[in-house]
Amino acid sequence: MLSVENVTVRRGRAQVLNDVSLTLAPGKTLAVVGESGAGKSTLIAAILDLVRVAAGQITWAGAPVRRCSPALVMQEPRRAFNPHLSLRRSVMEPLEAQGHVIDTSHLTTLCAGLEIALDLLDRRPTEVSIGQAQRVGILRALIAAPPLVLFDEPLSALDAVTQKHTARLIADLQREAGFAALIVTHDLGYAAAYADDIAVLRAGQVQERTPAARFVTAPQTDYGRTLRDAAFALGALERVA
Amino acid sequence: MIRTLAGLTLRAVVVLTGTALATFALLWHAPGDPALAIALARYDAVVPAAVVEQIRAQASFDDGFWSAFQTWLGPLLVGDFGQSSVTGRDVWPELMASLSYTVPLALAGLAIALALSVPLALLATLRPGGLLDRAAVALASIGVAIPAYWLGLLLVLLFAVHLGWLPAMGARTPAHVILPALTLGLGVAASLTRILRSGILEARAQPFLPAFRRRGVGARAIERDHVAPHAAIPVVTVLGLELAFLLEGVVMVEVIFARPGLGVFLVDAIEARDFPKVQAVVVLAAVLFVVVNLAIDLFYRRLDPRIGERDA
Amino acid sequence: MTITATGLTATRAGRTILYQSEMRIAPGERVGLVGASGSGKSTLGHALIDTLRAAGHGVAHVPQSPDEALDPLRSMAFHWREAERALRSPPCPARQQELFAALRIAGGDLCKRPWSWSRGMQQRFVIALALIGTPDVLVMDEPTSALDPVVAAGTMDLLDRHLAHSDTALVLITHDLGLAARRVDRLMVMDAGRIVEDAPTAQVLASPTSGAARSLCAHRNWLELPC
Repeated sequence: MLSVENVTVRRGRAQVLNDVSLTLAPGKTLAVVGESGAGKSTLIAAILDLVRVAAGQITWAGAPVRRCSPALVMQEPRRAFNPHLSLRRSVMEPLEAQGHVIDTSHLTTLCAGLEIALDLLDRRPTEVSIGQAQRVGILRALIAAPPLVLFDEPLSALDAVTQKHTARLIADLQREAGFAALIVTHDLGYAAAYADDIAVLRAGQVQERTPAARFVTAPQTDYGRTLRDAAFALGALERVA
Repeated sequence: MIRTLAGLTLRAVVVLTGTALATFALLWHAPGDPALAIALARYDAVVPAAVVEQIRAQASFDDGFWSAFQTWLGPLLVGDFGQSSVTGRDVWPELMASLSYTVPLALAGLAIALALSVPLALLATLRPGGLLDRAAVALASIGVAIPAYWLGLLLVLLFAVHLGWLPAMGARTPAHVILPALTLGLGVAASLTRILRSGILEARAQPFLPAFRRRGVGARAIERDHVAPHAAIPVVTVLGLELAFLLEGVVMVEVIFARPGLGVFLVDAIEARDFPKVQAVVVLAAVLFVVVNLAIDLFYRRLDPRIGERDA
Repeated sequence: MTITATGLTATRAGRTILYQSEMRIAPGERVGLVGASGSGKSTLGHALIDTLRAAGHGVAHVPQSPDEALDPLRSMAFHWREAERALRSPPCPARQQELFAALRIAGGDLCKRPWSWSRGMQQRFVIALALIGTPDVLVMDEPTSALDPVVAAGTMDLLDRHLAHSDTALVLITHDLGLAARRVDRLMVMDAGRIVEDAPTAQVLASPTSGAARSLCAHRNWLELPC
C-alpha cells in the first residue's frame, strides 16, 4: 500500500504541497485531479524521491517507495525517449542495467496487450505516432512488473479517440498485472471513468477524496463541483436521458 | 532591481580580485629573480648585488608573496597605480598616453566589424541555405580561423608593399590606423556575422510569428517589431565576449604594426618585470571588462525582461 | 450572405495533406471541424483563413495556445495597437472596453507583457484581439487544450455569450467531438485530408455515416450519466 503521510514540499518560501495525506491500496487506482500549479506533478516527484520532502513521509508497504521500484509514465511520449535510440533499446536498457533477465514471452504478451507490433520497437521515437509512442512508454513502465505505476498526464498529448483507447488498454493491463496506479490528470472525465477514487488537489492541499462514482453525482466540496461542472461543459462527461 | 545590482557588483569585485591575484602570482612565479630583472631593466647593465637587494626590499619581495601583493594592492585600491619599478615615473600618465592610441584603434575595429557583419548577416538570411548564405558562412568561418598576426601581415603585403596605398608601421598619421583597424575588425566581423545570422534565423522561426501574419501584420512590421528584438538578444549576450576578443586582438595588432599603445606598453613591461605597469594594464582591462559586462547585463534585462524575473 | 471558400488544398514535401475541399459558412453559424490528429483539420483551417483573407473577407484566427499568438517581448498594449493597425482601424477604446468586459479581462494590466498574465487571461486576450474588427469568421484551433478545464469552460461560455449577439461565424477545430457537440450547429468530419461528412450536429451524432465519424461518436465522452 502506498502511504503519503502529512507531506509538505517547499520551493523557496512557497509551499507546493501542504500537509498532503493519501493512501493507495495494491491493485487500485487513485486519480489526483486539479489545475496546473496545484502541486500534482510535485506529488509524483515527491513519491519518486526526486524532490526534498520538508515534512511527512512516503512509504510503500511500510518501506521507502524506492525499494518497490515504482514506474513512471510521462506526459510527452516522444520526449520521454532518447531520440537517437530505437524504442527497443530505450525499453530494455534500464532493465539490463539493473541486471534483470527479460522474459521474451512477457514482452510479447505486454506488446499484444498494448497493441504494439513487435517491429515497431525497432523504430525511433520520431518515426512513430504520438499514440504509439505513449503505448511504448507504458510498455517501458510495465515491463519489470512494478507493483506501483505513476501516470503523469498520460493522455493529454493524445487525441480524444486515442485517449479513450489507451485508457482502456491501461485498465485491462492493470486488471491482469494487478499494479496500483496513481494517475495525475486535469481530465476529470478520465478520472471519473477509470479511477476507484478521486482526490482533488488545490494550491498544494487535498480538498477532498471521494469514490469516483460518487464524485460525478455529488462532489463533497464547492471546488470539486466546479471541476465537475467544467467537465460537463467541455463534453468530457455527458448527461443522457 | 537593487538586489540585482548588488549581485552584479559582488560578481565584479570577485572577478577583479581574482584577476589581480592571478596576474601577480604569474609574474611572481615566472622563472628568474624579479629583483634582478628590474635592476637589469633599470640600469641596462650588470649591477652590484647591493642594488638588487635594495630593489628587493623596496618592493617587499623579501617578505614573501602575500606581503609583496599587499604592498602593491594597497595604493591601487585608492586609485593610485604607483610608480614604474624601472623608471620610477608615475604609471598613470604613461598608461593614458598609450591608451590614446589604443582606444581609437579598438573603436575603429569595432565600427568596421559592425559595418561588415550587419549587412552580411542580413544578406545571408535573405535565403537561408542559399548560395549567398553559404558563401557568407564560409567567409565568416575562414575569418574566425585566420589568426590576426597572419591576416595583418597579408594586409601589409597587399596594401602597403604591392599596392603602396596605405602606410604599414607606426602611428604618425591618421591613415596609419586603417590597416591595424582592418585586421582587428575583420576577425571580430567574422564571429559577429555568425552570431547575427543564427540569431536572425532563430528569431524568424519563433512559433508565434505565423499568428501575426494571419492577423494581417505586414512583413516589414514583423521583422522590425518581432524578429529584430529577439535576434538582438544573443548578439548583446556575446558582445561582452567580443570585447575580450577585441582586447586580445588589440595587443597583438599593435605589436605587429609597431604602434605605440597598450600592447607595446604591456609587452615592454612584462619583459622588464615591471610589476606596477603590468598590473596597471591588467587591472584596467579587467575593470573595462567588468564594467562593459555589467552594462550589457543591465541592457539585456531591459531587452528581455524575462531574465531575472520570477515566472509569472 | 453565406461565405464560400473553394479549392482549399495543401501539400507538404510533395505529399498532399489536404485534398480539394470547400466550405460554406452562414453568418453567425457555428461549425465544428473534427477529426483525429493528423487528419488535416488544422491545415484546412489555415487554408480557409488564407483563402477568405485573399477574397477580402474579415477572418480572424485564435491558435491553440497563447504562446503561438503573443510575442513575449511585447506588451499587451503593443499587441492591441498592432492588431488595430493591421485592420487599418483607428484606436477605439470603447471597442476594447466592450470586448474586455465581455471576456472578463478588464482587470488585466495592458502595460505588462503576456507572461505576467495568467494563461487563461492570455487566451481570452487573444480572442478579444481576434474580435476587434468584428470578423465574418473566427477560426479557433483547439481552444481548450492548452488551458485548465475550469478556465477553458469559462472561456468557451463567455465566447458563446458574446457571439450570440453578433453575425460572426465560428469555426471550431478540435479532436474532441464531445466538446464540439456542445458548441456547434454543424459538424464537418475530417479523415486523411478529406472532409468525409458534413451535416447538422444532431444528425452526425445520431447516425454517423463515415468510419471516422463513427469512431469519434463512439468515443466522444468518458462517461454518460443518467439525468
